[in-house]
Amino acid sequence: MRQKGAVGWFKHDITHRGITAWILFVLLALMYFFFYYGGRTLFGAPIPDPFTPIAQGLGMPHKWTFYGLLYTIAVVAGGVLMFRRYGHNRYQVVRTSVVIFVQVTLAFAVPWILLIFEQPEFYFSYLWPLQIEYFYPSTILEMPLPFLLYSLIGSLLIVPLLGVFYGKRWYCSWVCGCGGLANTAGEPFRHLSTKSSASWLFEKWSVHLTLLLALLVTALVVASWAVGQHYPRFEETAVSLQSFYGLIVVTMLSGIIGVVVYPIGGTRVWCRFFCPMAALLGLIQKFGRFRITVKDDMCISCGLCTKYCEMGIDVRAYAQKNQDFVRASCVGCGLCAEVCPRGVLRLENRMPRDPQETLTMSSLLSRSYQ
Amino acid sequence: MKQYVIIGNGVAGAEAALELRRRLSPEEGRILLISDESPYFFSRTALMYAFMDRLDRRDLEPYERKVWDIQKIERVQARVVDLDASRRCITLESGEELSFDRCLVATGASPRMVPFEGLDAVEDGLVHFVSLDDLDACERLARTSDRAVVVGGGLIGVELVECFLHHGLEVTFLVREPYFWPAALAAEEGEMISEHIGDHGVELIHGEELHRIDVDEAGKIVAIQTTGERTLPTDILGICIGVVPTVDWLRDVTTPPTLKGGLLVDRSFATSLDGVYGAGDCVVVDLGVDGPPKHEPIWYTARDHGRLAARSILGDDVRYEPPVFYNSSKFFDVEYTTVGAVQDLPPGTGALFRSHPDKLITQRILHATDGERRVLGFNMLGSRWDHRLLQRWIEERRGLNFVRRHLHEAQFDVEFGRANLEKMNEKEILL
Repeated sequence: MRQKGAVGWFKHDITHRGITAWILFVLLALMYFFFYYGGRTLFGAPIPDPFTPIAQGLGMPHKWTFYGLLYTIAVVAGGVLMFRRYGHNRYQVVRTSVVIFVQVTLAFAVPWILLIFEQPEFYFSYLWPLQIEYFYPSTILEMPLPFLLYSLIGSLLIVPLLGVFYGKRWYCSWVCGCGGLANTAGEPFRHLSTKSSASWLFEKWSVHLTLLLALLVTALVVASWAVGQHYPRFEETAVSLQSFYGLIVVTMLSGIIGVVVYPIGGTRVWCRFFCPMAALLGLIQKFGRFRITVKDDMCISCGLCTKYCEMGIDVRAYAQKNQDFVRASCVGCGLCAEVCPRGVLRLENRMPRDPQETLTMSSLLSRSYQ
Repeated sequence: MKQYVIIGNGVAGAEAALELRRRLSPEEGRILLISDESPYFFSRTALMYAFMDRLDRRDLEPYERKVWDIQKIERVQARVVDLDASRRCITLESGEELSFDRCLVATGASPRMVPFEGLDAVEDGLVHFVSLDDLDACERLARTSDRAVVVGGGLIGVELVECFLHHGLEVTFLVREPYFWPAALAAEEGEMISEHIGDHGVELIHGEELHRIDVDEAGKIVAIQTTGERTLPTDILGICIGVVPTVDWLRDVTTPPTLKGGLLVDRSFATSLDGVYGAGDCVVVDLGVDGPPKHEPIWYTARDHGRLAARSILGDDVRYEPPVFYNSSKFFDVEYTTVGAVQDLPPGTGALFRSHPDKLITQRILHATDGERRVLGFNMLGSRWDHRLLQRWIEERRGLNFVRRHLHEAQFDVEFGRANLEKMNEKEILL
């Protein structure tokens, strides 16, 4: 039951898909629309660009730096909310501090400083395949050598290696800006993620198809750069696929949908259903050391863990079956362990893992008598 | 095809139904799960989170709704009014009769009540906190009330206090005992928890009981009198003084089973009636020479009862052995884990009490005082513990020195958040 009074109504309404949540959704959608399409022409009509003048007024190189400022403010403010709520939980405090630090420095100040020193605007917190253009030859050719090495070693060596030892969480809920916003400003909306088995099925296809698409696009763009001048039709295809990926995946899904749906669909919609980096790390995680350990026979089936899982994992299904588990989608935010009133769950990186059994209550139970 | 009727869809009934289905195909057995309270099994332990808006009602259900259809477990929402073991049938309130080959009674427990002075005149304002109806009543009253008094210093009481506080009510917590929950906590622990509850803004009154309830003309509660002659104006009175087995309905049925403070079952969960079994909070288990009949109204026990009763119904040779006791809870922010024997120990038993100098973290380790000082039980507050390991140490009859040396292995705190056991102050108490 919601708390009494206007504040109680608002707190409930905005976090339970009420009218204020929908208003916030529309406002976010409009903001993103003007960020992406402001200054352009759409169906013959010019779209006003409110953000470039603001950015200029603040002495910023372009409107995306202003976007970065808003993003950083959201992360810091949400981070403060996290400290207030979960200050007693050291994992949350350490993790949130790192998230804020990475956002303020690597994802905001450093790229701006680089621009001031007339270097390419480089985001050290993002790597291929999430930042797909970091593997495009056109980008690589402009990169100073240290950046290029960082990007290659980061994507091909560090990401998988850390994934093996710590699971995907080291990136998805400690470093990445998308995850960072979800776990700070998005915190009040995390429970809105859908938990149905249908959504799990959709997720398995969508996230791996996006990964496949990212690999394909990268390969085609590289091949087209190497041999494209001899095969104009191939080059055309590569270019159109590249811009298709840029529009649908990068702009629409990661840029816009990822944040805009917070108030109605929960956080991490992008991360869960589409992010190629999450898909890749998820595959590594399945074979790595990370897992969530369940204390046998201690679960009271209250469902807080499932409710507050932003990735829509039915954590309770594992907890009440005494089943330690690793799910590819788990970003290791640790909130399930935090909200559990009986301390049943713990995130761990350790070998050996128990043999895995894929569980949903329904699939598990429906086969039991057959 | 045999017909299995389960009365009550709480954790004992629901787990029994699932266990039966695990072994029986739908062709071999028809399973009916009957409940008056709710069409779907829900987690009773999570009521407080629904009240505090952290969960929606639907979230209380531990299984997706389609599970019951997939499992071919038929849910019947009705009240059972008669049980006739000689004809092997039950009667629903509608008059409909359902026959059975085996019947499991898992009707749970109901709030204990005492005929307080003024109780008869109460029409509104009195609540308990164990059922969905209670949740409805609490929510309705919390909307329009400013003050609440909660009586009963146990687990449900403190949950209800936390809920009312969350909704901005002025809460008075009336606890008969000199400190919180002596049934499980020692004075040092109970006083600490009392202080913690007080720190949250609750007016905690120890050593007094509810004496009289005052109502207005409409029968709405306006105040209570305590045995300490205190008058506490209030809109809501929450009574959480324990639960009793829900077996009253069995007294007047065609074939009443043996009741003994609850539905009496043997170690195979069979009642005195042929083909009728019992499980969960409604039963007392006859342990024969091993001890007095056991009534353990806790979630974990009910769950185990349900599964074991199902196996017994299917003909397995079940002999219930109460496992090394464990339980868990949370008092506001303080998590609590207990394993083994911590209460009613004979004089001469030792207790090593460890407390953190700055934080609300304690460990009380009960142990024998002779020989290796065998460890008997653990009472842990404020940090997380792996009860499996603690249980094992008790089973392995480990001595106090061994346990102290290895205690860190049983810590279950979050990463970076492990309680520093080096810092604990230690005190040896002789009971």
